[in-house]
Amino acid sequence: MSSNAWLPLLVLGMPFAAFLLLAVVAPLRRSGPRAGLVSIGAMAIALAGALTVWVEGFVGETTWAWIPADGGPIATVGLLVDPLSNAMLVLVTLVSLLVQIYSLAYLGDERPASLGRYYTYQSLFAFSMLGLVLAPGFLQMFVFWELVGLCSYLLIGYWYERPAAARAAVKAFWITKLGDVGFIIGIVLLWSATGTFEFTDLFEKAQEHALAITGLPTIMFLIYLGAVGKSAQFPLHVWLPDAMEGPTPVSALIHAATMVTAGVYMVTRTEPLFALVPEVLTLIAWVGAFTALLAATMACVEGDIKRVLAYSTVSQLGYMMAAAGAGAAYAGFLHLLTHGLFKALLFLAAGAVIHAVGTNDIFRMGGLFRAMPQTGIVFVVGTLALAGVPPLAGFFSKEAVLGGVWEADLTGPFLMLALTALLTAFYMFRVVFVTFFGRAHAGGHPHEAPWLMRGPLWLLAALTVAVGVRLALVGAGGQEETPAWLAPLSIGLAAAGFALAWAMYQRGAIDPARVAAGLAPLDYLARRRYGLDALYTGLYRGFILAFSRLIGWIDRYLVDGVLNVLTALTLRAGDRLRRIQSGRAQDYVYGVAFGVLLLIVWAQLWRQ
Amino acid sequence: MTLETVGFWVVAAVLLASSLAVVLTPNLFHAVLYLAAALVATGVVFLLLDQPFLFAVQLLLYAGGVVTIVVFAIMLTERLVGERIAQTSRHLVNGALVSAAVFVGIAGFLLQAPIGAPRPAQTVDTTAAIGRALVGSFAVTLELLGVLLVAALLGALYLARSEE
Amino acid sequence: MMGLPAYLVLGALVFSIGLFGVLTRRNAVGILLGIELMLNAVNINLVAFARFNGDLTGLVFTLFTISITVAEVAVGLAIVIAIFRVRRTVEADRLDLLRG
Repeated sequence: MSSNAWLPLLVLGMPFAAFLLLAVVAPLRRSGPRAGLVSIGAMAIALAGALTVWVEGFVGETTWAWIPADGGPIATVGLLVDPLSNAMLVLVTLVSLLVQIYSLAYLGDERPASLGRYYTYQSLFAFSMLGLVLAPGFLQMFVFWELVGLCSYLLIGYWYERPAAARAAVKAFWITKLGDVGFIIGIVLLWSATGTFEFTDLFEKAQEHALAITGLPTIMFLIYLGAVGKSAQFPLHVWLPDAMEGPTPVSALIHAATMVTAGVYMVTRTEPLFALVPEVLTLIAWVGAFTALLAATMACVEGDIKRVLAYSTVSQLGYMMAAAGAGAAYAGFLHLLTHGLFKALLFLAAGAVIHAVGTNDIFRMGGLFRAMPQTGIVFVVGTLALAGVPPLAGFFSKEAVLGGVWEADLTGPFLMLALTALLTAFYMFRVVFVTFFGRAHAGGHPHEAPWLMRGPLWLLAALTVAVGVRLALVGAGGQEETPAWLAPLSIGLAAAGFALAWAMYQRGAIDPARVAAGLAPLDYLARRRYGLDALYTGLYRGFILAFSRLIGWIDRYLVDGVLNVLTALTLRAGDRLRRIQSGRAQDYVYGVAFGVLLLIVWAQLWRQ
Repeated sequence: MTLETVGFWVVAAVLLASSLAVVLTPNLFHAVLYLAAALVATGVVFLLLDQPFLFAVQLLLYAGGVVTIVVFAIMLTERLVGERIAQTSRHLVNGALVSAAVFVGIAGFLLQAPIGAPRPAQTVDTTAAIGRALVGSFAVTLELLGVLLVAALLGALYLARSEE
Repeated sequence: MMGLPAYLVLGALVFSIGLFGVLTRRNAVGILLGIELMLNAVNINLVAFARFNGDLTGLVFTLFTISITVAEVAVGLAIVIAIFRVRRTVEADRLDLLRG
């Protein structure tokens, strides 16, 4: 193994070792905070390794045969290290570490055994995500894809005694599973057409135009379906808002920065393949832009602070996918990185607020800036980044996305994304004004969060600013030149959104209720999430449960019925036959006589 | 119509009639008596087959010994005077059917066999021959028979002893 | 001169009659009487075959059969008496302890 390989292996292995340790050594796991320290320690080492890999700029691929065969292994496992995966390594390990440190304080009230369980899941998740990122081929990616989904289920349903949390976990699992079905079918079809799972082999074939297989658009569409599920694109976005039932640090980690970005990462990684099917790319762009707009409208009417952030995540994921669909995958990936930072920041800050106030409802908060100035400051920083205000990181990545979409002549998606930018600024500042400014509500003593929570917040805020400054100095480094009017346009949209929110919620100049009445149909639909949730629930209850009932009926009455009939027959036959044993010798003589008669008959026949 | 033929038919009639009586009489004691008659008739059949020794043995052992034993047994187990035949016998029709079927089966075999040859002449003195055979080739069997009889004797004694 | 078949048929008849007795009699001793008839018929068969085939073995066999029958009757009746002592009946229908 070359020196290039052992460092990524260390990064991958540390969380796995922590997971194994915590899973197997039950006393350690049940000791609560100590389990957390084990996990955090492993994560810190992994982060150090990831930073080294990224700074040194390692590139290379190391694989081991998984299913050996004569003409080379059918499936391999290994590590694929290049700038794309290196960046993800740093993002995943950094945000994981910060979230785990933050959780020590946020979940401080949990029972030690539960806390240990939480950190076991966290380590498993980190391992799964890293394995997905480092995958050299579709097969390993899919295995870790599923593992990540499992961890999401476990972490969303962490408070499993709560029925809402349990339901949300199952819903997340089901919906993403729908996408995964398409994903695996696509992978297998691709393999049957080309004979390989490995990315490097596939990209070579694509380069040599040796991938002109019929049905490639269909195959790539099926593979894209996996991203639709995992990255919450329309129509499989419904699980993400409900996933907020999990603890806030979990939302920050896997529903902002890492797991949901796996779909975007996959599309970015396999960009050479998608480039061969421009029609699918166009579809991806349209769906992405539409998702962004749809989620933004729903965020405008939402009152739960975490739900607002969830819809915001869906919206930003739409941005990333639209960029990938426009052929500007680099822009989308940049947005993924920056969004990971400031969305995690926003979630963790929201968690601090929730922890202090005890409720998620923004309309029960107010004037918190006085009580929690530090949290307020970092939240505003995150909001500015999300709204796309220079020189924070979000501005550059959003501009790159818009530029990429414009350059690809996708006017429809561009308009949708522009409108979404306006709405994004609007609803985020709406939250800021309602939560941190305005009249304070009586009840509760909101206070600053402990340092274990504030530390990660400040670090993320600093990174958001630093990355933004660096991008301003070095340039976003896109392939195309963005039009000159794009920067003023995006700043203008952000300013307009800010102004609108300020007028409605801070100044009270425009009454929100009248605006809602004016946009009544949209308001109605948005409040009911456009009926999609109800549709899914109806389908689930209608088909799947009915199917289960049918199977249950078949099992009870047909399968068991056959058995019951057989046993009843046996018992009854036994009862009847028992009468032969009358105990009377004369009856037995009858039997002997019959036997003799039979013998005679048989002998007669035999003679002939 | 020789004497032998007439004799056969008479003996056959007596044998069959007494056999039927054995199985059909309600009174058990009468049945035993009819059995005695059947046994004697069988002995006469032996005589017709030129076996005087066996005739003697039949009379001694069967008509004498067995009948005596059975009479004693009946006396010891009461229930002499029987009820009507329907109550002393059961499932008459079934039994008759089965027995008839068995007879038909056996007779079927018999009549198919080519055994119509006339009887050969008697050459040896069978009594002496039997005697010689018993102590000659069948000596071991004879001894074993003795053992059997002793065992039967002891067994009967043990089984029938009175409770003490 | 009566041929062999006559004797054999006679024997078969007595056998069937004895079988009828075994099957239908209620009293245990009555069943034993039927068995006696059956054994008798067998003896007739044996002697007839011995006479017509000129073979001595059949006669010796008959002798043994008679002796063994005597022994069997003795033991059988002893059993009947023993049963009578215990169960106060020799009706075959009542003796069904081996009922399944």
